[in-house]
Amino acid sequence: MTIESQRFLLVGAGLFILGAIGFLTRRNLIMIILSSELMLHGVALTMVTFGRMHNSNEGQAFTIFTLTVAACEAGLALALVLTLYRSNHSLDIQLWSELREPDLPSPIDADELDSTVRPENPYGGIPKLTPAGRIPTEAGKPASNVSGGKSSTA
Amino acid sequence: MMEWIQNHPLALGGLVVWAAGLLWLMPGSHVKVSRPVVPGLILSAVGIVLLCLSVGKPQPEFADEVLFWLFGGGSLICGVLMITSRNPAYGALWFALATLCTCGLFLLRSAPFLAAATVIVYAGAVIVTFLFVIMLAQQSGAVAYDQKSSHSVIAILASFVLLGGIAMAIQSQGEQPEPISADQAPAGNPLSIATAEQPVGQLKGLGKSLFGDYLFAVELAGTLLLIASVGAIAIAPRREQGTL
Amino acid sequence: MSETTQQLILWLIPVAPLLSAVITGLFGPGILRYRSHLPCWAALAVSFVCSLILLLKILPGVETGALTNAVENAATAENTSLQLADKPEVIATGYQWLHVGSISVDVQLRADSMTAIMLSMVTGVSLLVAMFGSGYMHHDPGYPRFFAAVSLFVFSMCMLVLAGSFLMLFVFWEAVGLCSYLLIGFWFQKPSAAAAAKKAFVVNRIGDFGLIMGMFLIWQTSHNDAYPFLSLNFSDIFGNPELLQQIAAAQPERVKLICLCLFLGAMGKSAQFPLQVWLPDAMEGPTPVSALIHAATMVTAGVYLVARCTPLFVLAPDAQLVVTGVGATTAAISALIGLTQTDLKRVLAYSTVSQLGFMFMALGCGAAGPALVTPAVTAGMFHLFTHAYFKALLFLAAGSVMHAMGDVIDMNRFSGLRKALPITHWTFLFGAAALAGVPLMAGFWSKDDILAVLGEASQSEKYGSFFSIIRYVAMGTAALTAFYTFRAYFKTFWGPEKFPEEAGHHPHDASLVMAIPLGVLAACSVLVGLAFGPTHMFAGTLQRIQGLTLIDPSQQHLHWGVMAVSAVIAAVGIGGAWFFYVANPKLPGTIAGALKPFYAASTGKFYLDEIFTGLIVIPLYLTAKICVLFDRFVIDGIVDAFGAVPKMLSAIPRHLHSGIVNNYAGVMWAGVVAAVVLVLSIF
Repeated sequence: MTIESQRFLLVGAGLFILGAIGFLTRRNLIMIILSSELMLHGVALTMVTFGRMHNSNEGQAFTIFTLTVAACEAGLALALVLTLYRSNHSLDIQLWSELREPDLPSPIDADELDSTVRPENPYGGIPKLTPAGRIPTEAGKPASNVSGGKSSTA
Repeated sequence: MMEWIQNHPLALGGLVVWAAGLLWLMPGSHVKVSRPVVPGLILSAVGIVLLCLSVGKPQPEFADEVLFWLFGGGSLICGVLMITSRNPAYGALWFALATLCTCGLFLLRSAPFLAAATVIVYAGAVIVTFLFVIMLAQQSGAVAYDQKSSHSVIAILASFVLLGGIAMAIQSQGEQPEPISADQAPAGNPLSIATAEQPVGQLKGLGKSLFGDYLFAVELAGTLLLIASVGAIAIAPRREQGTL
Repeated sequence: MSETTQQLILWLIPVAPLLSAVITGLFGPGILRYRSHLPCWAALAVSFVCSLILLLKILPGVETGALTNAVENAATAENTSLQLADKPEVIATGYQWLHVGSISVDVQLRADSMTAIMLSMVTGVSLLVAMFGSGYMHHDPGYPRFFAAVSLFVFSMCMLVLAGSFLMLFVFWEAVGLCSYLLIGFWFQKPSAAAAAKKAFVVNRIGDFGLIMGMFLIWQTSHNDAYPFLSLNFSDIFGNPELLQQIAAAQPERVKLICLCLFLGAMGKSAQFPLQVWLPDAMEGPTPVSALIHAATMVTAGVYLVARCTPLFVLAPDAQLVVTGVGATTAAISALIGLTQTDLKRVLAYSTVSQLGFMFMALGCGAAGPALVTPAVTAGMFHLFTHAYFKALLFLAAGSVMHAMGDVIDMNRFSGLRKALPITHWTFLFGAAALAGVPLMAGFWSKDDILAVLGEASQSEKYGSFFSIIRYVAMGTAALTAFYTFRAYFKTFWGPEKFPEEAGHHPHDASLVMAIPLGVLAACSVLVGLAFGPTHMFAGTLQRIQGLTLIDPSQQHLHWGVMAVSAVIAAVGIGGAWFFYVANPKLPGTIAGALKPFYAASTGKFYLDEIFTGLIVIPLYLTAKICVLFDRFVIDGIVDAFGAVPKMLSAIPRHLHSGIVNNYAGVMWAGVVAAVVLVLSIF
């Protein structure tokens, strides 16, 4: 490869790792998605460079597909972000840390919590499957609501 | 590895300086008074320049040289500013700028159609959508979690190790004439090979490649777009429980 | 009669009750309800008729040449012309149930004379009991369940006696145990009934252990470096007397052990000392069940097993002595306990145990000499046969009393019922007379046979003194039997007329559907003895099986001396009972006061339950307690230690599981970096 191509590959790699750093460090959901788009740019540049190195259009064809998938990803991701935002009134990804070990502390600092009033159950607004079956009840008592939790619809 | 460091001291220096600049710019894990941007920016720019210079000096035309430094350096600097910005709206704008610079690089790598498509798709559609969401979500202005980052030191160090590895891999290839001869090129997709009449990046050749070699993939990608739009419409609106 | 018809009839005997059980079980609660007895009656009638056809028509007509499973190959080879078989057998093979290695178990029905006699007795008594039961269980909520279980029981019992191999016998041995469990615990909401059912099941497990060990020992018996049996079919095991004798000569201990193991099984099922404790408690079940299962049929399965295995027991005289000894002990102890019980059904239960002891006493007499084997088995089986009728009669009559008295069965709470319940009174009297051994009644003939065999055995050189003792025990027990039977009779039906409150104002006698079985059984208790005893018809039929030799009826004679003695014994017993409970009703109390410890021991059933509790239950309980401690502190500790290892190992890495998405992405990124660095082999 020529030195010219090497420089372009280096720039592609730089864009890629910049995206990765952003992806790892930022706590804003939108910034995380933007960072992943930056990583895609790096990859696209690398592919275009390789295509030219090999005198082939395949690199550009692949980049077009990457562009397509990136557009899909952006649309879906934004829809999900909107849903999450509506549930918690925040774009902070660390609010969604229910999967941690129960005895570990919450990653949210105390000074951040007073800024917004958040709903009691952030999962209430998330769509659920229609309940099936029924919970066994003691004889004589009417069957209670199946879903168990409160069916809150914000 | 030691051999590469001895041969390319500039590269190592560039990586270190750039990383230092990023660390300066990156918000810490606690809210502090934000540092001035300029020193970090200068460090990053110096690092980027050193890294690019370490590759060696090509003999292109002057215009190409200027455009490379403009677009390449611009895209990286914009990327740095984007990931370190404390306001997501600015971050989105820096991302748009980085995208434009990347499109310039596409042009330099003889992909004009791709450059145009990227500008339209990203700058025209994606970024606008992002800004729209940001404005929807953050009407109250700056929030604490944008002023902080998690594990920034570890992330930057690990990523720069990777970048160093990639740079070393690129530079250890040595210089070869381009295009690489046909026997080294991937076989089996004859329509994608550029010819003297239709060099790389011409729309006719790209169209042949897409609708010849990759026709089914194009159809699949179209289906994917359709499904994604259906999914986004299904997910995004606020709706009553059980109406999905 | 063609072979197909024969086999069809043979199959009908067990299949009809099975069908009835399935139909009643499936449709009883929903559709049949209080008509659930109809399928049961029909099936049992079919079975009974088929059994009679088998006994009277098929078996006498079996020809030697037609035997598929030849008794002796030499004999078949010579008798190419068709002759009437000396030991007739009918075999109907259904299908192959198991085939593993060299084991091949067919579902096979095998009927010989003994089977046919048992079948006709079982199905006949079952039919009568089912009729009685439909009146007795009238408007019980478990009515369909009762008849489903009874049908299932009859099916299992028929299969037990029809089994052609030890394995099939064992399967249905367990099946009748299950039915017994279901029916003892029929009123499972009563804690005492549930406990009694459990007790019967658990005690029977001890016997079943013996039976299955005996089966294993037979299977594994080797002779001349070969395993001659490797089969559990009766025909393979008993069909070659020479081989059996060789084995017995080479390994007498082995044969003795097999016999003792089999006898342990019989002891459990037939409630012999010391495993008899479950039978009196089993009276918690409905009275028809007591009559059918715990008097007439199931409990005699042990006697049947020992009689069926006569070819083995003959070769182990020591085992036969054990059989006789255990039988005599059981008979005497149960009779003594029966003297003082006030629960009418329990008196009958102890008399059942006692009479089963009589049967075993007779079965063991073969030890005294080979010539005695056939009369001994004949006497034992004959007593089984007659006992089934009069004991079923007694239980049904007791059930009729219970029905009239509002389920009160304590003899102290009623008396003088002979005017209020005339049918019950007369039928009970017939049954009691038969049990006591009044001359010409059924029990007289069979008990006389047993005493005669014991008398002959006491003449033998080898074990003469042993059998003399047994003989006197038997005579004493016979006297006690007559005494306590008539004690129960007099206490119930004589004396001042007294009803418990539960009975209401006008106790009513048995309804027609209950009276008919009582009448038929009363007639049987007289006729069965008269018809088969002096004429030797029973012996002539029974002795046509493997292991027994047919004794020419002309050489058989009636034992006039023994008869006179047993008539005197019965008279003494009955007279004693009359003297104590009718002529001088105050006297028993006085004597009981004078002989307080003996009286207490008898009412307390010789404290056998308590002794068992002390010897077995409490040590087992303590062992279990220790095991619990071991389990909790040692085994649980080891398991917890294993569980603690991952906990320790994960103490640090679990902090990676922080719930922070950035951390998860970071770990992934670290992996990517490591992989790329490795692939590019930078270091």
